Amino acid sequence: MSANQSVKEGAKQLLKVLERFPDERIKHLVSFKQLQMDRFRYLSGEKAATGTDSTATSKGPTIADIKNIINRTSGPLGLQKDLLKKMQSITPNDRFTEQSIQEQIKSLENIMSNKYKNYYEVGDKLYKPAGNPFYYQRIMDEIQGKKKENIFTAARTVLFGK
Amino acid sequence: MTAGLFIRKQGFQTLQLSAKLGRISFYSTNINSETPQPQTESPQSIVSKSHLSTDPIDLTKGSSVRQAAKIRPLSHSKYESKDYQLPKWKEALGEFVIKTFKLDMDKVRAGPVAGSYFYKLCKEQGLQYENEPLSNTAQFFYQDLKLPRTFSQWFQITILHEWMLMVRMRAMPFKYGRNYQQKLVDRTFTDIELRLFEEMKVNSGSIVDQYLKDFNSQLRGAVFAYDEGFFTDDATLATALWRNLFSGRKNIDMVHLEAMVRYVRSQLYVLSMLSDREFAMGQFKFVPANETVEKLTTEQIEQLKKKVAEKYQSLDNNVKILPSERSNLSYTN
Repeated sequence: MSANQSVKEGAKQLLKVLERFPDERIKHLVSFKQLQMDRFRYLSGEKAATGTDSTATSKGPTIADIKNIINRTSGPLGLQKDLLKKMQSITPNDRFTEQSIQEQIKSLENIMSNKYKNYYEVGDKLYKPAGNPFYYQRIMDEIQGKKKENIFTAARTVLFGK
Repeated sequence: MTAGLFIRKQGFQTLQLSAKLGRISFYSTNINSETPQPQTESPQSIVSKSHLSTDPIDLTKGSSVRQAAKIRPLSHSKYESKDYQLPKWKEALGEFVIKTFKLDMDKVRAGPVAGSYFYKLCKEQGLQYENEPLSNTAQFFYQDLKLPRTFSQWFQITILHEWMLMVRMRAMPFKYGRNYQQKLVDRTFTDIELRLFEEMKVNSGSIVDQYLKDFNSQLRGAVFAYDEGFFTDDATLATALWRNLFSGRKNIDMVHLEAMVRYVRSQLYVLSMLSDREFAMGQFKFVPANETVEKLTTEQIEQLKKKVAEKYQSLDNNVKILPSERSNLSYTN
């Protein structure tokens, strides 16, 4: 298997791991999972066919397309050579090898298996802090929509701090 | 190394009222100094094992933060300098006032410990200036993790550390923990305001105000995201770190992310091992990124608790203890 091929295979493996990555509980501007899926999907040579590609939904060219134009053609968009050089020198470019992509997979799996949360167990001392035992539970309830805060609980927090 | 139980002599005197803390003996399990182990599992060594090279993310060259020509008044306050000694009469007067008015020292101590000592700890982690060599901790953030050397990156590093302290402060009795948090945040923004004027050379007060509001919302967002990550799982913590510390960059090295998750969790573990009393007295330092935090066995934890309890029992029973050294916080939790 050529080096290029093994990187592609690695990227495919990584994609499979990323698919299991938990979704965000609340929507942020950019989703880690989606962005990384895009990144490695491109690397694995797959087309973003599923429509989940966040950049594919927009009508304009994607960042990958623009990078491609800059890198491949000699004088695209009528830009001057020195400007092109500058742009090339600041666009980030991963250079994956088989080794580095395997490391990425391993690290991602360590993160997803809760390795460090379990190893460095802090217990109820920090998860149910004495000064404010329901602090984290209230945050989680609010995020998951289990129990909404009402005007009284909100006022209590503002007045008494917990 | 002393990461064992992490209590090292602080070469830092805060207000004279608490400067006496230096006399209290420090206790460490000394696990690491007795059996030196190769630091193979430290965050820094994890990072160094990564073979991913991303060109040209190398923002380590140069920094946009310049050392102010003028002396910054807050950080150069004489009360915070290492060698400042309060005149004896002032000290005696202080002790007299505390005794007569029965001041709650745990409350008073929040200023010098959280507002001064803890803030200093957090601030120094990522502090960097143009044309100045990076400190060891700053090397980890800017060289190993390849973070840009900017003011706002420094702020992100600082609030990450502040958040870790806040997690521990929540576990203190509410009245005191809240006060510690308040002092820490107050001091952060006073300092940032000054630094924006003097180091970043922002001349307009209204622009500084805008920046401060911006930093404030960053702080709120980061604390919320880290809280969620801390309480749920490593994956959520990793995305929180990615969004805040790594500014959501696409070309993130997962190995770096893993190292940071380990870094944060290990610091919190150390914090969870401290009793309220030790923490409130400021007997804590962050474990440097090139050191591994080993998990303590049950016997070691018991032994540690015993020693800590002995130390503070003898201190509390000592009749000669000064009014400013008193504390009602628990040393057994």
